[in-house]
Amino acid sequence: MTFKNLIRGTISGIALSACLAASTAFAAEMPKKVGYITNYATHEWYQNVIKGMEDRAAQLGFEIEVIDANLDMAKQVSAAEDFMARNIDVLIITPVNEEGVVPILRRAKANGVPVVLEGNPAKGMDVLVAICDYDTGYHAGVASGEYLAAKGGDSARVMNVGLPLLSATILRSNGFMDGIRTIIPGAELTHDLDGAGSADRSQEVASAALAVDANINVIYGINDSSALGGLQAWRAAGLSEDELLVVGTGGEGLAFMNEMAKNGPLQLEAAMFPEKVGFTAIDAAVSMFNGEDLPEHIVSPTTTFDTASLSDYYVLTSDTTRQIQWDAVNALVAPASCMKYASDL
Amino acid sequence: MPATESIKQITNPIKKILTSEVGFLVLSLLALIIGISSFSEQFLSAPNAVAILHQSSLVLIVAIGMTVLLISGEVDISVGANLAFSSCVVMAVINQTDSIALGALAGIAFGTSVGFINAFVTTVLKVNSLIGTIAMMMMLKGGVFLFTREAIQNHHQLPLFPKIATGFVLGIPVPALIASIVAIIGWVIMTRTKAGRLFLATGANQKATRLSGYSPERVKFAAFLLTGALTGLAAVILASLINAGQPTAGGGFELIVIAAVLLGGTSLMGGRGTILGTIFGVLILKIVDNGIILLRLNQDYQIIFPGIVLILALYMDQKRRGTTND
Amino acid sequence: MTELNIADPTNTSVPVLSVSGLTKKFPGVLALDDVSIEVRSGEVLAIIGENGAGKSTLIKMLAGVYKPDGGTIAINGEVQNYASPADALKAGTKVVFQEIALIPEFTVAENIFLESHLITRIGTIDWPEIRRRARDIFERAGFALDPDAKVGDLSISQQQLVEISRALAHDAKLVIMDEPTSSLTPLEVRHLFEVIERLKSLGIAIIYVSHKLEEIFEISDRCTILRDGKWISTQPTSSHTNDSLIKDMVGRSIDDLFPRSERKFGDTVVQVDGLYTHNRLDNISFNVRAGEVLGFFGLMGAGRTELAKAIVGYDPISAGSIKINGNLLSPHSTIKSKSLGLGLLSEDRKEEGLMMDANVTRNMTLSALQKFTRGGFVNAAAETKTAQSFVDRFRIKLAKLGQPIRTLSGGNQQKVLLSRWLMYGLEVIVLDEPTRGIDVGAKTEIFALIDELASQGLAVILMTSEMPELLGLSDRICVLAEGKITATFETSNVTQEEILDAAIQ
Repeated sequence: MTFKNLIRGTISGIALSACLAASTAFAAEMPKKVGYITNYATHEWYQNVIKGMEDRAAQLGFEIEVIDANLDMAKQVSAAEDFMARNIDVLIITPVNEEGVVPILRRAKANGVPVVLEGNPAKGMDVLVAICDYDTGYHAGVASGEYLAAKGGDSARVMNVGLPLLSATILRSNGFMDGIRTIIPGAELTHDLDGAGSADRSQEVASAALAVDANINVIYGINDSSALGGLQAWRAAGLSEDELLVVGTGGEGLAFMNEMAKNGPLQLEAAMFPEKVGFTAIDAAVSMFNGEDLPEHIVSPTTTFDTASLSDYYVLTSDTTRQIQWDAVNALVAPASCMKYASDL
Repeated sequence: MPATESIKQITNPIKKILTSEVGFLVLSLLALIIGISSFSEQFLSAPNAVAILHQSSLVLIVAIGMTVLLISGEVDISVGANLAFSSCVVMAVINQTDSIALGALAGIAFGTSVGFINAFVTTVLKVNSLIGTIAMMMMLKGGVFLFTREAIQNHHQLPLFPKIATGFVLGIPVPALIASIVAIIGWVIMTRTKAGRLFLATGANQKATRLSGYSPERVKFAAFLLTGALTGLAAVILASLINAGQPTAGGGFELIVIAAVLLGGTSLMGGRGTILGTIFGVLILKIVDNGIILLRLNQDYQIIFPGIVLILALYMDQKRRGTTND
Repeated sequence: MTELNIADPTNTSVPVLSVSGLTKKFPGVLALDDVSIEVRSGEVLAIIGENGAGKSTLIKMLAGVYKPDGGTIAINGEVQNYASPADALKAGTKVVFQEIALIPEFTVAENIFLESHLITRIGTIDWPEIRRRARDIFERAGFALDPDAKVGDLSISQQQLVEISRALAHDAKLVIMDEPTSSLTPLEVRHLFEVIERLKSLGIAIIYVSHKLEEIFEISDRCTILRDGKWISTQPTSSHTNDSLIKDMVGRSIDDLFPRSERKFGDTVVQVDGLYTHNRLDNISFNVRAGEVLGFFGLMGAGRTELAKAIVGYDPISAGSIKINGNLLSPHSTIKSKSLGLGLLSEDRKEEGLMMDANVTRNMTLSALQKFTRGGFVNAAAETKTAQSFVDRFRIKLAKLGQPIRTLSGGNQQKVLLSRWLMYGLEVIVLDEPTRGIDVGAKTEIFALIDELASQGLAVILMTSEMPELLGLSDRICVLAEGKITATFETSNVTQEEILDAAIQ
């Protein structure tokens, strides 16, 4: 897609992103009201994105209103019209799909309402806040290689519980394999599976793959459900968990935290900090409101942590809630641009 | 068995095996095992046997109920959607109460009440069960999203819970044990009890059953309840297996279950079928599944094959019935 | 094509049909063994025999459905070699089967010319000509049929006339009728016989296949008897007596078709008062004593089956009461009636009686299952033992108890269904057409069985449309017409005419 090449070409100097955005925000004038149209509010990822936005908006002393498009493009369009009719100061949108959001962007430009996109780019956008999928996978791969090497291992046989339908998840899987091979050059992709991103399907295909060949020592999942589904398949096959490393991606909910707390095979998590994505999006919204010049792609930082450092970033506050540790997350430095984009596939 | 029977068996053994339903299934199963193992050496390994048993368990548990229901002359298309919804109920209730027993009970109770509604719609409102349970499937698929949009995660962290699906007793996976117990009970009911006779009689000739002083509605009600309860039981195992209540799980599950039951020689028109046949039907489907993966064929064949099996099973059923109408 | 073949009935030199040495083998059975018959122009030849005697095999070969394994079929002296039923029709043979093969959505005229559409010069179907020719046929044959009526709206007997018209349209020389009266009312049977007389006068040869001996005596000139696929005799019908026919058919003499032992009547067991159903029955009241056979006679549609199903709780009633030994049948269900000792043997064995694929034991013990059940478990050994005792007692012919019931003959199936209730132990049994579709030999056994049951004190309610059965078995007779009881008689002092009179009003 030529459009995605465009994004990549125009990205510049975002190394400052988080800190810069934060500092400018404090100095600048604040908007009164920011609207966020989310894609799918019941998903833990978006719940945490909203939580991050609310935390940050409260800090800066303004209000944020959220409408859920619930995976419905028509609902997203009418929500945008509703916000504009009420003279919202800035609009943040997670597009339901890339084409559908284009007319909203055109309308907003005509009305003079600045728009920040979250997650997925669209034609005609000014700024996008998103994580780097390839980089996230890559760093998790490097961390996995180091983990295995530290335990004296010199081979890696990987089961990738992937989702080949989406470019973002392919980038994660590719990044992981490239990353692990920097430490263990002979790392082998033994099973490359389509787990559909859900725990039940992942469990099913992983079970089948393990029946063919259970001689693996790494399970990588493109999200937490995929990684945990793969792990459940391993357990159901009655295999020993001693030599197994499971690597999850996302860290959007509690499932991975509960599993890591057991100090079992899930030792590494490629965290994407949805709260931080919300936080960064609010800062970008403030900058837009003040007419500042922003790069087209603002990267929200990701990192890989292990069971020991989990508590640096997240602590459980009850059985069903967690608290992000802002100091640690805000200290993470995001790259200026991603190592690879969908257009590189 | 009388002496004449065994003499016939000796004189014409091949025909006897091919015309006896279970004999045919055993031969197919053997052919599959020999065929697949000659292409793949992993097939006959102990871990693979465990994997096949594991994957057969969920289907078999529900297929036992479906066998009884089809024998009674009705069908339940909603088992897949019921399975998904019940698994969410199981997880939600355990999260709330920290009690596996209460969660399992709630899941089974939910599954059973779906069976109850199906039974009511079929036997009281007299809606054709094929259509009535498709409607129920639609309601459950929509309803589960009202209940939860996302997978219900394990917040209770009870250590015993994952063991329901992933534990082993004497080297046998726990779900396979549960499925075996269900199958044995189903077999005893169908071959040894008055209830089993009435399931068969109702499916074979509902009018004759009523004239003989029984209520075919009550018999069908029981079969629907049984199917619903077993679906709820399978949901407990499913929730444990994926360690979550997954609202989107169970897609196409009902078709695999029905294909297995029909393959096992149960008649779509009711009145004929055996638990033993269903066990073989499930094993054959799951061994083919496993074979497709072992031989690294395209996984889409896993859906295509049951489709072919359905047509074949219905054709054989029709042929058998055809001979009865002479 | 419409030219009817009016031959001189006195010309008997060459038979219309001459069959010689016809043989047909099926795997394991010699279905027809060296059978020879002749039928002449304007003659009715009856073919009778028990089920399995070879009648249907013979007809199917004459109709070109089966190919003979030996022997010849000649029409007007020409030996035929049918490859299909169409060939037989072309040669002039038309079969009117038991189940009529017309298209209900088409008109009478369309059905008659189904195989031979008349085409106009421009290639369309010539409807005016088809209607004209249909009318022409009706006129010659004396049928009161409307060529434009839809066949689905006609009665069975009118549909038979359409079938016969088809034969005439195809210039048939031989018409074969297979059990033509099995679904007709007595009045319709009369009409059919008039039609047959008419066909005779047109010089058509007729083969008439029936179970009903009275009809054979009335309509046929000669009569061929088959038994076990073999030809037994062909004689002028007038030289036969009822007994000689039955003797030839079953191969043994039957002294008395309806044995009657001494019956002693006990207390009133069944008491039905003011029974109504919403669609048929109208104020039905009667009672039956222990050891008594109460016969219900009625024509088709008089309400016999409806009454049978209503009293046993199978069909709902709208008013009235049914009492068994003083106990009210309430709730109105078969579960309750069974507990009061009341059961029905349905007229429709296949649809409402048998579990076709299930074995003999399973079929026999269905009602009495509780007798072999302890704690929900069925004692299979006791069940088999009891079933075997009934097989012995009623001389049910079978290879083994485990064989599917569908492999038994109609008579033996009926004995199994009777056993189903006798094993349970009833106070009252309702029998709806208990001998329908059963061989003469088996009929006699069932009659004897019913008589035996009554003499043992069972109250019997018998629904029948067969006059000999009614008169031979019943102690009293109620006549049904249009859902009402129109007359009640003591069997000892009633004539057939009185009964028919009451049935037709």
